[in-house]
Amino acid sequence: MEMHPVFLFLDPYLIWLYRLTGQALADFLIGTLALAFMALIIGEITISLAFLVVRKRIDQATAEAAKYQRLSMEALVEGDKLAYKAANKLANDAFGKSFFMQISLSAAFLWPAFFALAWMSHRFADIELPLPYGHHSLGYIGVFILLFVAAYFLFKGIKYKLPHFRRIKQILDGYPGRTKERNSFADLAPERKKPGGT
Amino acid sequence: MRKKGFLIVGLLIVLVVAVAATLVLTEPSFAGKLEEAIAKTPQGVGKGMIDPSAKPGFMGIPGAPTHFWLFYILWGIWVGWIFSSVGAFGGIMAGVGHITVFGLADYGRTFKSTSPPLNKLLTDSIRVCNQYLVGLSAFISSLTYYRMGRLVLPLGLCLAGGGIAGAYLIPLLTAGKINLSMYVGYFGIIVFAVAFVLFYETTPQGQARKKEARAAAQAFEAAHIKKAASGVDVHARGVRVTRMGLTKVSFTFYGVEFSFNPVWPVLGGFIISAISAFIGVGGGFLYVPFLTSVAGLPMFIVAGTSALAVLVSMITSIFTYMFVKSVPVDFVLIFTELIGIAIGSVLGPLTSKYIPELWLKRLFVVLAVYVGIGYLTKGFLGYSVMPGM
Repeated sequence: MEMHPVFLFLDPYLIWLYRLTGQALADFLIGTLALAFMALIIGEITISLAFLVVRKRIDQATAEAAKYQRLSMEALVEGDKLAYKAANKLANDAFGKSFFMQISLSAAFLWPAFFALAWMSHRFADIELPLPYGHHSLGYIGVFILLFVAAYFLFKGIKYKLPHFRRIKQILDGYPGRTKERNSFADLAPERKKPGGT
Repeated sequence: MRKKGFLIVGLLIVLVVAVAATLVLTEPSFAGKLEEAIAKTPQGVGKGMIDPSAKPGFMGIPGAPTHFWLFYILWGIWVGWIFSSVGAFGGIMAGVGHITVFGLADYGRTFKSTSPPLNKLLTDSIRVCNQYLVGLSAFISSLTYYRMGRLVLPLGLCLAGGGIAGAYLIPLLTAGKINLSMYVGYFGIIVFAVAFVLFYETTPQGQARKKEARAAAQAFEAAHIKKAASGVDVHARGVRVTRMGLTKVSFTFYGVEFSFNPVWPVLGGFIISAISAFIGVGGGFLYVPFLTSVAGLPMFIVAGTSALAVLVSMITSIFTYMFVKSVPVDFVLIFTELIGIAIGSVLGPLTSKYIPELWLKRLFVVLAVYVGIGYLTKGFLGYSVMPGM
């Protein structure tokens, strides 16, 4: 398949990542990991910049959802079913707006990954990495996805040490309703009785 | 602790079975599948033929439609703008781009009688392109809501279980079997459904319901400001599952008990994820109204719980199309469209304050009815009664 001029321009630089050790498998994995890292970092930067531009609007939608969510819970505790349903409906509408805004914003995170895959489709379309204990194999897409996920978790460890992303995290942590506690299996544990309680 | 253990073991068993079933059913790589379909197509310059000397287009197929890259970005901007202004209709427009604007469906239909495998492969490729464009983004944004919301794990697992079944079975059963005309017809039905919902929201009745809800919420707020929530024991504010059974699951949230029959989220998860996997759009946004309308659950819980279901069904669906059924994808098309959607996502919030939402929705109702009628007739009658479709 003919390479697009953008890929033709970048090809010598990108393929250099795949020629570091001279060992085919190691080179492929190292090169793909490096490519995944680059795609991840560019994606994180573009989504964070896009978020900063539209932050006010997202703040409004998120705050509205959180406001009606809080109201619906208060109505529930008070036993006011009508108020609960009304507030819950408004919370849903606000959530919907916020959700779709975030969907389109997510594209800013994903485009570099697909750019990388598009380049790899020109270079590595026929690559098959055999998997152990069977006759199955993994193509370039499977390898890229696995290494992209690995890169995501590796980068997460250092992400918030970088000033730009630290600032983004501070903004996100300030959102009302954003829980700092992780949802966990502990929620399934039976309630513990307080000492001396019945 | 015993229940926690059973749940973890159950999850692991489901994962192992899913991976094993996937490996057993894996087909040859998609590069091979596309080459095979092209090889079986008659060569020539006529309709339904492939001219090997023609310039490669969509998916590298010689003679397939190809457009200047800026058009993909511009269409992506339109899709992103709609997503961030109105919402659901953006996914429909992404599909319209692939089907009509870029001419992929018309191109694929030419192979209906000359090369049915290529016709069906192109149908599946369009479906996956839609999913990558829309569904993957929904998956990313769902991770945000997972962190924001609360998760009711049994509910999430029921939704995810139904979602896995739908996201796995639909590609498995339909990949390679749906021709473009049928796909376009079914897409038209979904467009009509979205048009109906949008239309209802613009009617006086739909508007009145929202006004009533706002008045009721404001009246309650004025009378009971912050009193109730602050009186709730902090320990009771989390989600606590109190009962897990085959016909009833109960949990408390903010000290109030909720319950649901597990059958409904399994069924709902299956149907929603099946629609998403079949058409390539929808899914993420359908879980929330389903959970709040059918199960009456608080939004806070729904946001986090549905995120888990979106996560699982999206991974399953794309994995099945890509690795089990080896459907080829044009990554160049997707990444250029994603750039456009990212730009549109920034323009939408900046421009929406100048355009009343009601009039935007009315415009999209007209567009949706136009597209819906066009696709329905094109799909099931063989020709579109609407010009340009």
